[in-house]
Amino acid sequence: MDLLQGTLDMLVLRTLLAGSLHGYGIAKNIRSTSNEALDIEFGSLYPALKRLEAKGWIASGWETSEHNRRAKFYKLTAAGRKHLVREHSKWADFVSAVGRIMGTSPEVKG
Amino acid sequence: MMLWNRLEYLWPAWRRREEREMREELGSLTAIAGSQELGNLTLAMEDVRATWGWTWLESIFADLRYSLRALGGQPAFVAVAVLSLALAIGANSAIFSFADALLLRPLPVKSPAALLDVSSTTPDNPLEGMSFPDYRDLRDKSRSFSGLAAYRLSSLAAAANPAAPAQIRFVDLVSDNFFSVMGVTPSAGRAFAPDEATASAQPVAMVSYDFWQENYASDDSVVGSHLRLNGIVFTIIGVTPESFIGLDRFVRPSIFVPLGMTQRLGARPADPLEDRGRHDLVVKGRLSAGTSRESAQAELATIGAALEREYVKTNRNRHMAVRTELERRIRETPQLLALVKMLIGLVALILIIACSNVANLLLARARTRSREIAIRLSIGAARSRVVRQLMTESLMVAMAGGVAGLFVAYGGILLLNMQSVPSDPPNVLGVQLDWRVVEFSLLAALGSCIFFGLAPAWQAARTDFVSALKTGGDGASGKGRTFGRDVLVAGQIALAMVVLIAAGMFLAGFRNMLVMPPEFRTDHLISLDTAPAALHYSPAQTKAFYRRLVDRVRAMPGVAGVAMTEALPLSPSQTAITVVPEGYQFPKGREKAIEFGAAVAAAYFSTLNVEIKRGRAFTDDDRAGSRPVAIVNQQFAKTYWPGQDPIGKRIRLGSADGPAAEVVGVAKTGHYLAVNEAPAPYVYVPYQQNPRPGMTLVVQSVGDAGALAKPLRDAVRSIDGNVPVFNLRTVATLYESRVTDTWLNFFQMVGTMGFIGLALATTGLYGLVAYTVSRRVKEFGIRVAVGASHRDVVWLVERRGLILAGVGIAAGGVLSAVTAPMLAAGFPGLGVSSPAVYVLVPLALLMVSAIASYVPARRAAGLDPLRALRNE
Repeated sequence: MDLLQGTLDMLVLRTLLAGSLHGYGIAKNIRSTSNEALDIEFGSLYPALKRLEAKGWIASGWETSEHNRRAKFYKLTAAGRKHLVREHSKWADFVSAVGRIMGTSPEVKG
Repeated sequence: MMLWNRLEYLWPAWRRREEREMREELGSLTAIAGSQELGNLTLAMEDVRATWGWTWLESIFADLRYSLRALGGQPAFVAVAVLSLALAIGANSAIFSFADALLLRPLPVKSPAALLDVSSTTPDNPLEGMSFPDYRDLRDKSRSFSGLAAYRLSSLAAAANPAAPAQIRFVDLVSDNFFSVMGVTPSAGRAFAPDEATASAQPVAMVSYDFWQENYASDDSVVGSHLRLNGIVFTIIGVTPESFIGLDRFVRPSIFVPLGMTQRLGARPADPLEDRGRHDLVVKGRLSAGTSRESAQAELATIGAALEREYVKTNRNRHMAVRTELERRIRETPQLLALVKMLIGLVALILIIACSNVANLLLARARTRSREIAIRLSIGAARSRVVRQLMTESLMVAMAGGVAGLFVAYGGILLLNMQSVPSDPPNVLGVQLDWRVVEFSLLAALGSCIFFGLAPAWQAARTDFVSALKTGGDGASGKGRTFGRDVLVAGQIALAMVVLIAAGMFLAGFRNMLVMPPEFRTDHLISLDTAPAALHYSPAQTKAFYRRLVDRVRAMPGVAGVAMTEALPLSPSQTAITVVPEGYQFPKGREKAIEFGAAVAAAYFSTLNVEIKRGRAFTDDDRAGSRPVAIVNQQFAKTYWPGQDPIGKRIRLGSADGPAAEVVGVAKTGHYLAVNEAPAPYVYVPYQQNPRPGMTLVVQSVGDAGALAKPLRDAVRSIDGNVPVFNLRTVATLYESRVTDTWLNFFQMVGTMGFIGLALATTGLYGLVAYTVSRRVKEFGIRVAVGASHRDVVWLVERRGLILAGVGIAAGGVLSAVTAPMLAAGFPGLGVSSPAVYVLVPLALLMVSAIASYVPARRAAGLDPLRALRNE
């Protein structure tokens, strides 16, 4: 499934709301939460992470992972939290608008 | 925040750290998840690096590499473009360094921009110096300046050690804080202390770096040794650094002494420093931090007004003016401003011509490169990227031109420095190649690059790549193919014509000057300056000295006549007299005028052959005690008594209460300070009625004037061996350097510019005609095949060159009609209306254009039609 522009950013921020994760953890998390519908490869996620970090929405630091390995963990900053709230309400508006037009799944007669 | 982040990545250290961090992070994740799971990490890293904003720099390096390769393939193009630019930028830089030496160069002090000039002005004289009491009050009361320093330039008889003979040297008498306000630290010893400023203090002196090298062999032990000034022994306490060459243009002081020594050095009965009416100090103030020039001016106006109320007699109508150094210099020497403006204006035209040349070459080149550009565009290069690539190439050409221009400038500077006025102590023009000139050259290169590079780059990027690829030729089509280039070439010719007309005007001026008899005799005359004041002569002793000197010289064999004057016309230093002409209504607020003038001794007019137009010259009967008289020049009469008979009018000398001198004669107006000055009023007074402390002796010889040099020196020695003799030179030498050489220099400078302009414009014309010929090979082939004669084809090409030249000449004529009067306003005496100039310059341009187009025309006519057709 293709992602709309900017959606990836939103997904990352939303995922980090639950707590800090390393880069691969974020990708895994998105995949499992979406029931494998959104199969985001880490390679395309990573530049987005760096972009979000440069914007100051997330911050990173070295921590020790569950298997006792060092990894870089990302967490949401206050600015990121604010941005997420904004994006989330925009997203909700969008979804409800599209939903009003589409209604329930129509029966297409062939 | 974001901008800062981007900037951080510009630093290689930062970038390396980010790179390491990234690799470490990805490495750790690979260890956790395995590389299969993570996807294309190389691409991810590349994407991240792009966000660091570093790639644009790498792409610039790529541009540079590519440009080098592209330019390397076209050595002829590069050579012509770089040479054009080098000539033009070199000429511009040389003229800039000349203007720098004349007007622009900042003072050799610490942060010169914060050092302002403070003058005491009256409506009669906007540039008068400051009196010491006024300076002292200003220094005590002003808060706007962190320091105010005063000095006076003077020439004194100096001996490097008490045993050596005295020579005239420039000496700065300075306030005790002078060097600290200038921010100048002595290179050896120390500067003056406040207690050394008083008149009764031990005499101490500092010497300049040059004087130290010349007389003391750069020996540090000079500190503590002695020198003699006007007979007084001074202890040397310090040496000024090499960079500090004083605050006056053209002269370099050798010695610095405290202002407190003024009275003793001049052996005056009263202390001149206590005379509020004596305005001879130059004052410079360093602005306090955070103070603006305007607020400093406002504060000084208040202090000036208070002084005016308190000292009505000396300070009536007197104001304080705060000026930048440049403003002061422009007021001091407006004729230099006219010169600088003219030269910079003309030389800028040369740069425009050169830029048009390069633009033309680039346009031609862009056409031939359009296929390459089309390919780049068709495989997806952005147009902006292509424009940038082409601009990079232009920039490289421009920078090469700028650097090569520096060598041209260096040659020009060597030539400019050869002009000087023989005088002693020597005057220095000081044209030099310094960092300011280097910066100027590179800026000129950058500016010209934008001028010549942008349009061609834009045009190339507009290329319609489909048709370009299809035809294999250029993407443009239709009649407008060379219209832009035609305009450029016609413009070049027009501008070259403007410069050539200016050169012609200077040549005509030079010729007029040679043909016209000088305004005074220059042959068989030798002059020398003496300074008996250096020996503390009393006024009576000075008068007696000059009487004996004149008598002795008159009796010498080979002498036809003797005269004396305060200042020879056209010598670099001129004297002035304050006058109140009777019956003249001054504008409101003014009450007197300061005009050129001199005290002269009896035989002055006949010896120098200065024509008396009306009335009489001075005679021996005009002596002290007899009725005061004066002689004015025609311009004086015209200015102050228009339409009236000046004979019998009276002039108050010094002020409205001064002695009234009756005008007994009118002399012919001449040039007094510079050959390009507007006619100036001049007033002569007899020496016997107006004795002066130092006079110039002018001696007319029977034979060779130069042969009298030694006998004259001996004559002075035989009266008093200690009186310094200086500026011993023939009047012809002086006249040559001040008039003939000046005109010649002007002509050479403008003529060189004209020549460069002509050469560049001709190259441009040739290039364009040759280009059109190469584009029309097929057409010419057909014409020859169907029977066009050799002459037909030659004419076809020639016609094009001549039409371009004709349009350019017409435009140049119109432009010159505007510029010639502007030039003439700044340079009275130019051959403005010389018809030869307006005929010869266009003819020369036409001829050169004809030759330039003939070369490609012959090639066109010599084409083998078969081969020409097969080629296409």
